[in-house]
Amino acid sequence: MLISEDKEVEIFVASKIGSFKHIKYHTDHTKNTKKCIENLVEIKTLQKDDGITRMEWGNKERTEILIGRKNQQVQVYDILEGFTKSYTADFSNGDIVGLGRYKRRLIAGLSSGVVKIWSKKSEELVNVGKIDRMRVYEDGDVFATGGEENDLKIWRIGEPTPIFVAKNLPHDWLQLRRPVWVSDLCFLNNEGGNVVAVCSRHGYVRLYDTRAQRRPVTSVDFEKMAATCITNSFDDRQVLVGFGRGQLHQVDLRKGKPDKGFKGSAGAITDVATVAEGRLVVSTSLDRQLRVHQFETKELVYKQYLTSKLTCVLVQSDISVPLKHAEKEIKEEVKDEIKVETDDVDDFDQLFEKMETVGEKPSKKKLPLEELPANKKIKPSSEGRTDTDLEESLTDDAIKKLLKSTEKQKRKREQKKREKKAKSVFHNA
Amino acid sequence: MARGKDKKKRKLEKKQEGDDVPKKVPHTLESLREKDETMLVNVDEEEQLEAQKDMELDELSSYYENSYEPKVLITYSDNPHTKTRVFGKELTRMIPNSISRYRQRSSVKRIVQSSIREQVTDVIIINENQKQPNGFLLIHLPNGPTAHFRLSSCKITPELQKDYKEITTHRPEVILNNFSTRLGLTVGRMLGALFHYEPQFRGRRAVTFHNQRDYIFFRHHRYEFTQDGKRAKLRELGPRFTLKLISLQQGTFDSKRGDYEWIIAGRRHQMETSRRKFFL
Repeated sequence: MLISEDKEVEIFVASKIGSFKHIKYHTDHTKNTKKCIENLVEIKTLQKDDGITRMEWGNKERTEILIGRKNQQVQVYDILEGFTKSYTADFSNGDIVGLGRYKRRLIAGLSSGVVKIWSKKSEELVNVGKIDRMRVYEDGDVFATGGEENDLKIWRIGEPTPIFVAKNLPHDWLQLRRPVWVSDLCFLNNEGGNVVAVCSRHGYVRLYDTRAQRRPVTSVDFEKMAATCITNSFDDRQVLVGFGRGQLHQVDLRKGKPDKGFKGSAGAITDVATVAEGRLVVSTSLDRQLRVHQFETKELVYKQYLTSKLTCVLVQSDISVPLKHAEKEIKEEVKDEIKVETDDVDDFDQLFEKMETVGEKPSKKKLPLEELPANKKIKPSSEGRTDTDLEESLTDDAIKKLLKSTEKQKRKREQKKREKKAKSVFHNA
Repeated sequence: MARGKDKKKRKLEKKQEGDDVPKKVPHTLESLREKDETMLVNVDEEEQLEAQKDMELDELSSYYENSYEPKVLITYSDNPHTKTRVFGKELTRMIPNSISRYRQRSSVKRIVQSSIREQVTDVIIINENQKQPNGFLLIHLPNGPTAHFRLSSCKITPELQKDYKEITTHRPEVILNNFSTRLGLTVGRMLGALFHYEPQFRGRRAVTFHNQRDYIFFRHHRYEFTQDGKRAKLRELGPRFTLKLISLQQGTFDSKRGDYEWIIAGRRHQMETSRRKFFL
C-alpha cells in the first residue's frame, strides 16, 4: 500500500533523563529532516529526578498530554499551548506508573501500589498492591492494574474493591506454580472495557474477558523473552508486544499465535504506538532510537537517534501541531512580506518594464532540440525505402570489419604473450 | 609492469619533495569507518548538550563526581582452573581496592545482592571454558548497568615470561582509547569506573583499554621517561587480554527478564551490515 499524499504525524517522545520532544513525521520520507525535531523542555534545566516514567493522553481528542516524572510531579501539557498545570503525587513512594483522566478526574498510580483519584471536591486513595503498570480505560470509569506477583485487577472508580481479579493458570505439569509478573496491559478496542490483554516479563501474553471467566481466555507463550509493552494493533483481538531483547511482534489472540515481527531494534522496546492512517507502527527503544515500521510490509521506514534513552511515545495524526522554531521562521517571513507589500507599487512597474522579456529565448533553444530527434526518426525510415539487397551488403561489410578487427586483436595478444615469455626468467632458465 | 614503473617514479618524486609534505593517512577499515550518528563529534550543539546531560544523569555519574572510592569484587565460574584463578589474582593487582573470591556455587543475583550489602561498587565475574577464561561480566552496583564481554587471547604473566612481583601496589593510570559512539562511551566509562580516580604517579603504571574495531585490548605497562623527557620507554608487565562486547543491560544482571540497552545476539546479520561498521 503506497501513500501518494504526504501526511503529517505528530510524535511525542519522553526520555529517561526528562527531555520531552516533538517530532513531526512526514509519510513522504524526503521531508523528514532534523529540523522536524524539537525539544519542548529546556535541557539545561534538567535535574536528576526529572526523568519521565509515564506519559499518557489526557483526553479523547488527544490534545492534552499527562506527564509523570520521577520526582512524582504530574504535568499537563497541551499540544498547542504548552505546559498548563502541574500536580504533585507524593502520597506514597515509588515511580508514577499509570496516569489517566476520567471526565474531570485525574488518576495517578504509583509503583508502591497506591492509586489516587483527584476530583474537584474530594481526593480518593485506593490501595492496589505493588504494581508495574496502571491503565485507565478511555471510554469508561474503570482502570486496571498489575505488577510483579500481582495479577491483573480491574477497578471501578469510586469503589474500594476490584470488580475483577484475574486467576492464574493452573499449575504446570510438574505441579509448579506459574510465576506472575504483569509488565503492561491494555484494554482492547470496541469491547466496552471488558476485555484486557496483559503481557509479562515471564514471557506470556494473556487475554482476559471479564464476562467469561477469571482465568485467561487465551495465553500465548514466548520462551525466554521478557515482554515490556503492549498496545492495540489495527485489527480486533490483535496486539503489538515489545520485548526486553529488542523484538517487536504482533500477537494474534484469536489464533493464539505470534503473527509478525518488526525488526531493527538493538535494545529493549520501551513503548509502542500505532497510526491508523498509513498503518504505521511507532516504537521507542532503550538504544535511543525512534523507529517507524510500515505495518503491512514490516519494513523499517524511519529511524531517528534521539540522544537519550526513550521511555514513552504518543502519536497523534488528526491535528497538526506546528513546530515552534518553524513558527518563528514563518512569522519572520510574514513580516518580510508585509514589508515588501508596503513598498510603492510604481517602483515595481518600472522594474518590470526595465526587465528584458525572457520568454522567447528558451523557445528558440527548444526548437532545434525538437527538430533533431525528428531528423533521426526520418533516417531509418529512408533506409527502409531502399532495396533490401543494399541493406544486406551493408550489414555484410560491417561483419567483415568486425572480424578483421578481432583478428588483429588476437594477433596483438599473441605477440604480447610471446614477448612476456621471452622476458620471463623461468622460461629462459 | 606499468605499475612497478609508476612506483619507482613515485618514489623518486617523494625523494625530491623531501620531508615537508605531510604523510598521507593510509586507508584502513578504521579510517574509512562508516559514520555513526551517535558519535559525539560533529553533532550540533543542542544534541551535544543533551548527550552531556544524559551522561551527567546516568548511573555512573556518581563515580565521575568522585563521590566514592570504587571497591571491586572479582569472582569466577564454579571450580575455576589454574589459569583463570591466576588471571583473577592478577586482575586484583591491576585494580586497586579489589578482592578475589571463589563463587561457592552462588548465583549471580545473590552475589549482586550481597555485594550491594557489603557496599561493593563493581562486580567482575570471569567465566571459564576448557580451562581458558572466556567470559567477562561486569556489573556496576547498586543499579546497573551490566556489560557482558567475550574474553579472548588472555595471557597471564607466566605465559608472557614476566614476574607478577614486578607489579607494584601503586594505583595505576587508566587510558581509555577510541571509545567514540554513545555505546562506546558508556562501556568506556564503565571500565574506567573500576579504578580509583586518583592515580599514584609515583608507581609509573599505566593500564590501557584500547578499542580497535570493537575489540577492546587491555595492556599493562610501566613507563620511564627518557632523559630528555620527550619520550617514554615502556615495559609490559602483564596480563593482557581482549574483550568484545556481547550485550549491555540496563540494571543489574537479569538475563531472562532484564531490559537490554544493546544486544547483538540474534540480529548479527541485520546489524553488521558492512565491514566498516563499528559499534564502539
